[in-house]
Amino acid sequence: MSHRISLFQMIRRSIMHRRARSLSALLAMTISAAVATALLTLYTSLDAKLHHEFRGFGANIVITPAKGEKHFADGTLDKVQALAGPDANAAEFGYAVATTDRGTPVVVAGTDFAAVRRLDSWWQVTAWPTPAETSSALLGQHAAQFIGDENNVQLTFADRPITLHGAGRLNTGGDEDNRIYMPLASFTAWTGALPSVIELQVPGGAAQVESVIGDLRKQLPGIKVDPVRQLVEGENRIVDKTHALMYAAMILIALTVAISVLATLSASVLERRRDFALMKALGSSTIHMVGLFVCEAVVLSIGGVMIGYILGSGASSLISQLNFHTATMPRLSVLPAILLLNVSIAVLAALLPVRLLRGLQPAALLKGE
Amino acid sequence: MIMMVKENLAMINPNDLTRPDCAVISLKEVTRDYSGHAGKVCALNAASFSIVAGEWVAITGPSGSGKSTLVNMIGCLDRPTQGALMIDGVDVASMSATDLDRFRADKIGFIFQQFHLIPYLSALENVMLAQYFHSMTDEKEARAALERVGLGNRADHLPSELSGGEQQRVCVARALINNPPILLADEPTGNLDEANQKIVAGLLKDLHAQGHTIVMVTHDPEMASLAQRRIALSHGKVFCHPVGGAIVPIR
Ligand SMILES: Nc1ncnc2c1ncn2[C@@H]1O[C@H](COP(=O)(O)OP(=O)(O)OP(=O)(O)O)[C@@H](O)[C@H]1O
Ligand SMILES: [Mg+2]
Repeated sequence: MSHRISLFQMIRRSIMHRRARSLSALLAMTISAAVATALLTLYTSLDAKLHHEFRGFGANIVITPAKGEKHFADGTLDKVQALAGPDANAAEFGYAVATTDRGTPVVVAGTDFAAVRRLDSWWQVTAWPTPAETSSALLGQHAAQFIGDENNVQLTFADRPITLHGAGRLNTGGDEDNRIYMPLASFTAWTGALPSVIELQVPGGAAQVESVIGDLRKQLPGIKVDPVRQLVEGENRIVDKTHALMYAAMILIALTVAISVLATLSASVLERRRDFALMKALGSSTIHMVGLFVCEAVVLSIGGVMIGYILGSGASSLISQLNFHTATMPRLSVLPAILLLNVSIAVLAALLPVRLLRGLQPAALLKGE
Repeated sequence: MIMMVKENLAMINPNDLTRPDCAVISLKEVTRDYSGHAGKVCALNAASFSIVAGEWVAITGPSGSGKSTLVNMIGCLDRPTQGALMIDGVDVASMSATDLDRFRADKIGFIFQQFHLIPYLSALENVMLAQYFHSMTDEKEARAALERVGLGNRADHLPSELSGGEQQRVCVARALINNPPILLADEPTGNLDEANQKIVAGLLKDLHAQGHTIVMVTHDPEMASLAQRRIALSHGKVFCHPVGGAIVPIR
């Protein structure tokens, strides 16, 4: 038997001997590792998740034709889509003011329903028109009030009548509620108006939005490209605040755990003064005993990391399932950081009480009961 | 069985025992004061004497007379407040704490009244612990030491599974495992019944026969009579007398 095995057996026995103490230290370490794992795992996927959430808020860039122009040149949408990348959602809109059969003016918008559906996933729509139906329309809930028969919507633009079929109602709480949306091709054929607004939704934070805006302005000179400020900045603020919150939580938890581990290990040193005195009598140096004690704490902290990692990964998956409706996979990449964090807490918490050993009086401790 | 006797002890010639320069332990005016809340206590007062290599000395005296204080200083667990303490030719008062640890591992074996075994380690591992702090563990040697104290078949038992006498024998095995020249025993039979006292006395006799210097604190006249010499303490002062003789102050 090598003396190494014996050292580990010694540590194992010592941990098992003070089961309650070891367990409470292990518990603290496990909790710290679990919370750190959950936070770090969420943290690494949080930005992506938050940005994904923000996609639901619709466009963060609005593009309008150059000054003096009424509409875009042909192929502008394709260029925008190419510049913004395949992950971006874009939809173009043409607008005209028509009159209902009751003589009320109403804004009619021509667009690509499939694209809008992707871009404005937050819109509340009772039923989307299918792409095949060329005269199918989406009625804003206010606009619908001025229409007699939603299945037979009679509109007139510059003396040219059209009959649309209202497939569903739209409720956004905004200007959209006052409009009637119809397929772009039919819209252009009817009014002669071409798209005059492109709404673009770029994934990622403010930096990505700014960079796409820069590209668009460079590649499409003259065209007006504007960010939807409140959305881009709101997103940034929320992401920053969430980061700060997570850091604060992590520091607080690390501190709490460090204090509880410190208390446990201090009690453990005091409890074992007699053992340490005996080791002194057997010729152990203080460094050697400190080493043993720290080793024990490190073994416990590694145990805590292993259990805590599993628990924390599970918790983060659950949290993200509940909040973002997508599971977060366990991330091995967070393990080194957590190991480092926990082992440093353990070593520090073990080294502080070890100062008590320096004043150890083996003679007095070994003398009697 | 006499595997423990190594060169340094084998070199001792019984005829040298009386020569003072052969002293393995020598105290000159050693004083140990304790200053507590209740004022200064002089546990040991200017003690001077020598113990030669291979000698078996009994330290006797009433409770509180400073016996443990004396033994702990010889064992380098405690330092004199004043005076010179030479162990094996080295002035231990001037040694650093780290050197003292090393020195203790090499030179001293302790046998305690309360045994002081680590409760979660088996008898064998308790013996190996002394090897561990001294150099390297050697299970075969540790088992041999347990066999030597008659516990070969109890090596894997925990202290709680052993009787007091058996625990004390483990303690003896642990004390001799690194083959230290000096064995310090503070009331080694204080917690034992007569039968176990006999066994431990027998072990000490063996160790003495092999050349170990033994300093033993005891209240028991029978145990004291086994020693070659008796050093009596009273109120921290040393009196020395041959076994059975009259008490004569040294100074
Ligand atoms: N750490 C200490 N602080 C203060 N006084 C101490 C300390 N250790 C021992 N003493 C005092 O020193 C004196 C000698 O104590 P010591 O333990 O050496 O006696 P002893 O002869 O071993 O007694 P016993 O036979 O009861 O074991 C006693 O008066 C004791 O109260
Ligand atoms: Mg005593």
